[in-house]
Amino acid sequence: MKTVLVIGGGVTGLKASHELAEMGYNVSLVEKQDYLGGQVAKHKYYKLAPDMRLVSEVLDPVIKNVESNSNIKVHKHSTITSLSGNAPEFKVKIKNSKGESEESFGAIVVATGFEHFDPTVKQEYGYSRFKDVVTNAEVEELLNPNGPTKGELKRPSDGKIPKKVAIFQCVGSRDKQVGNPYCCRVGCVVSTKQAIEIKEKYPDTEVYVYYMDMRMFGRGWEELYGKAMEEYEVIFTRGRGAEVTLKNEQLSLRAEETIMDRPIQHSVDMIILAAGQAPGDGTIDAAKVLGIKQNEYGYLAPKDDFLSPNESSKAGIFIAGADKGPLDVENCIVEGAAVAAKVASSLK
Amino acid sequence: MSEEAKNPITEKIESTKGGHFYKEIMKDFRIKESLHGCLNCGTCVANCPAAAFYDYSPREVCQMMIEGDEETIEEYMKSKIWNCAQCFSCKYRCPKENSAADIVMTMREIAVREGLAAEALAGYTRIAKLVLTRGNQLAPDMLSPDAFPDWGPRMIELSSKKMEMREELFKGFPGMNVVDRAWAAEDFTIYEMQRIWEESGALEKVGTVFPFLVDIVQDDMDDKKEEMEAKIEAKKAKLAAAGK
Repeated sequence: MKTVLVIGGGVTGLKASHELAEMGYNVSLVEKQDYLGGQVAKHKYYKLAPDMRLVSEVLDPVIKNVESNSNIKVHKHSTITSLSGNAPEFKVKIKNSKGESEESFGAIVVATGFEHFDPTVKQEYGYSRFKDVVTNAEVEELLNPNGPTKGELKRPSDGKIPKKVAIFQCVGSRDKQVGNPYCCRVGCVVSTKQAIEIKEKYPDTEVYVYYMDMRMFGRGWEELYGKAMEEYEVIFTRGRGAEVTLKNEQLSLRAEETIMDRPIQHSVDMIILAAGQAPGDGTIDAAKVLGIKQNEYGYLAPKDDFLSPNESSKAGIFIAGADKGPLDVENCIVEGAAVAAKVASSLK
Repeated sequence: MSEEAKNPITEKIESTKGGHFYKEIMKDFRIKESLHGCLNCGTCVANCPAAAFYDYSPREVCQMMIEGDEETIEEYMKSKIWNCAQCFSCKYRCPKENSAADIVMTMREIAVREGLAAEALAGYTRIAKLVLTRGNQLAPDMLSPDAFPDWGPRMIELSSKKMEMREELFKGFPGMNVVDRAWAAEDFTIYEMQRIWEESGALEKVGTVFPFLVDIVQDDMDDKKEEMEAKIEAKKAKLAAAGK
């Protein structure tokens, strides 16, 4: 059967759908929101590291490829509710506001992605208590000319441009206290990118990054880190942000300057929390409906991490992208293409 | 020995892991729950009230136990660990769920046992003496102008009138009208308490830290013991006579 169900309309799902359609398969793409692009579209990501390329230059063609392809049927505002049958003949119920319909598929691709970690549970950071403590996703929206502030970094409390900005790394990542001991893989580079964007737009604003390790392993990331220090004078302090309080109506943070071996307090105008990645509700729901294995953090577990990275625990159901673990946009697109190849070879 | 081996920096790198104190600490059941490697992120130090004021760093404590250098551990047991306030903030914030406070607690117990704590605890001699002899840990007399150079004239004046103030405050409670202890416990209570010090081995433990103090207290205790036991015998005899 040459029909494939792709669950999730983020970059991974879009890429997988397009590649499969190009190979002649009929693809049904199910997306629970009424727009395509996943978290990238939801939070209006503005630029991509390390090239500072506009997100629209990447996302628009990926979406257009899907919407203009006659082999792809896009179900927006839809979710899957049940699965029956086995490979290569699955029956899946797709539900939308109008009702439920059952369709048959030869294979299923799960590309349900991630959601940003909600820093409210890290009470010591004061997110949702102090207005000027924001997440990196919110900063993307602020910096985007199509966002609520038309690209100005106006701080939420009074709309002023902050003179001192601190960025906290590893919020909800590498942290056993919240049950996420893993690395989010993107926080370091996103923070560096945002620091540069802020310095570029407001050269007088001081930007401090509080980090444990700068994990610049991606293409061009290390060079971007160097650039942030050398050309933009972003100040990197080795010590994890530990606590945020309000002192004389100004945000005051505590950390340890671990290189200089001393505890510090620092007053700033705005704090950006580099919130990590967590498996989203979509991923958890899909795992439940399809009956596929998750790892201890809720991400989808491949059949074999090395030998069959895109196969789930169930034959005929494939997994790709950030629902398997934290991933950046660039590699999500690679994953989308990889899973398409795997599906094609299994349906041959 | 080559010139290089004498270099003090090189010597530090070639530390000796697995010495006596290191083994004693690692043997304790609390360590397994308190040390899971360290990210050296500094969250503990940033939250530590002791680190803000003293030469103390919970991060250093964890790193020291990971490295396990015997000389450093001994040095810490003698001084730095006694600056910890045992508030356990480090434990509840550490992203690796380490607990420097638990490590410190263990190290303190071993330091006392091994006789490394005398110097660090010297300032507590008066408190220890008061606990052993009177059952209180603080007395109004301890709060005197020479112990608190930052007091102003008002505090000094009040301090000179503390007996009068207590008499006024605690009318009808003669046990409270004392300034050399917080309150005066009954002789029999003190006798019972001191028996507990002896029977439980607490006195012996205090002796490892304040040997001279225990010598002084011991005489006092023995006198009191004799006196009280004579009283008890007399009462017993009286009761027995009344029973017949």
